[in-house]
This record gives sequence, C-alpha cells and structure tokens, in this order.
Amino acid sequence: MKWLRKDLEKYVQAKEYVDTVIIPVQMFQVVDENQLEKDSFDSEVLAIFANEIEKELSGRVMLAPAYTYVKGADLGREAERLNEWIKHLKQQPFKHIFVLTLDMQWKKSEASLDANLLWLPGLKPTNLQSQEAVQVIRGQIEQISELIRSYW
Amino acid sequence: MAAGLLAPMIRFAIDPVLQSQEKSGDLVNVNLSVDDITDTPQRVDWEVQQVDGWYESNINRTAWVYKDENGEIVALSPICTHLGCFVSWEGSEDYPNEFYCPCHDGRYYKDGTNVPGTPPLRPLDVYEHAVENGMLYLGEPKPREGA
Ligand code: FES
Repeated sequence: MKWLRKDLEKYVQAKEYVDTVIIPVQMFQVVDENQLEKDSFDSEVLAIFANEIEKELSGRVMLAPAYTYVKGADLGREAERLNEWIKHLKQQPFKHIFVLTLDMQWKKSEASLDANLLWLPGLKPTNLQSQEAVQVIRGQIEQISELIRSYW
Repeated sequence: MAAGLLAPMIRFAIDPVLQSQEKSGDLVNVNLSVDDITDTPQRVDWEVQQVDGWYESNINRTAWVYKDENGEIVALSPICTHLGCFVSWEGSEDYPNEFYCPCHDGRYYKDGTNVPGTPPLRPLDVYEHAVENGMLYLGEPKPREGA
C-alpha cells in the first residue's frame, strides 16, 4: 500500500494485515556538480526499488513517503528525526519498520535507528529500461522481499 | 525506452456495444509462442500503455500461463485477491502444485480457485486471451466468483 487515498481506505479496514512499513531514505543535493548525475540516478533507482517492493508485498507493506535530507547532513541528527517518524508509525500496529537507502553513510548510524536498515548497493548509471537493468533489478527485488519476509 | 519492449497491439473482434469501452478490447502480443506453453505455469511479463488521469505511463503486467488438462490456455493474474500481494506458482515448499501468497499464506489451486480457509475469498482473476499466428495475446484480467 502507498500513502494514497484509495490505499488508505483499504488500510483502515485491513489494519491487522498490514504490519510492515518501508521508509525510503533519500539524499538530495545540487551543489556537487560532479556527483549530480550519480546522485539523481541513485534517487531514481531508490524510487524504483521502493515501488517494486511495494507492488510485490502490497497487502502487508505500507510504503511511506520518502524521508529526504541534504547530502553531507549530520546523519546522527537525521537519525533522530527519522526516529520521530518511526515513533509515530509505531502508534499504529506496525511491527516491522524498514529503512531503505542507497547511501552507505547510514551504515554508521544503523545502531541509533529504531528500525531495520536495508542498504542497497546502487547500480551503474545505465538505461533503467534496458532488458539487462530490468533483470538485475528484478533479481535484487526478489532478494529484498525475501529478506523482509524473513522478519514475518 | 527500448523499442523492442513495447508489444504491438491488435484490436480484438468484439461486440460493437463494448467497443466504446476504451481499451478493453486491446489484446497485446506478450511474446510467447503457444508451443512454449506447458502444463506448468510460467511467468510472463509484458508492458501496456496506460492513461490514468494525470499520468500516462507504461505499466508492467504479469501472468501465470499454462495449458490445463484439456489443452486450453489459462492465463492467471498474479495479484492476490486478498490484499494484492504477488502470488507465485509453488511459492511455498509446503504447498506444491498451488499458487502461494507470501503475505498472509493465501493459497490457490492450479486453476486459480482460492483454497478455502486461507485469506483470499475469491479466485485469481483470469486474463482474456487469444491466439494469433501461434502467438499468445493477453487482454484485461477479469474477476471470477468466489469459491
Ligand atoms: S494478500 Fe495474499 S493472503 Fe493476504
């Protein structure tokens, strides 16, 4: 499920079945020009992963709006804010909360997060529609959903 | 986008009354030769173009396709009729010969009928299909009555 009216209508009636949240955590910047392409590409890839995982497991997983921060921010502080989100989410019967990111920096703050960190290695910049990319992404999505299911 | 990915569309011969229902008559070549369809459900993916209010997009579709004991082609939607997760053929080792939904252990027999006592209350939707020049064409998934 996504945070959309039609899905939330369904959610309130089926709350007991939806016990998992995924928060995509996304970095944003426009200053470091050498990295612009790579960083924006990463954010596209993150969105694709988040959407596809949601599609695969939509009856039990709620996809939260992406948490966005500026590149180079103090992740300790961002983790605190993210924990506010998580605290908020836990007021509903959500048992499993996953933070999905491509930014390796989060690994260092993993311990301070009240959620499971799913770090994905990015892809080499390429045409995301190509057969090859689709195959790679599909394979990774299968693995991530298996990982999520192992918590259920 | 790669041109080869977008399947060509054909207009299916249908009742003129239905013809005004936009798009419902469009069957799409899913790039699968009928000869390659066996009695084991296989995953078939294809793309269709969809205009949905604000968005115009290519959406990915998937079906589980096989021939039943009478040799008839069956194309089932993989969307669980409980709450919409992706259902896989033999998705659980515990339930061979069935479709399995990982979200709440929903199960379906091979013909798509929901296994009573599991969360889904109706069978998997069935895609309209047609065969042209030995190739499989699929249309819209249609709901069926509950078991
Ligand atoms: S979504 Fe398939 S069993 Fe609940």
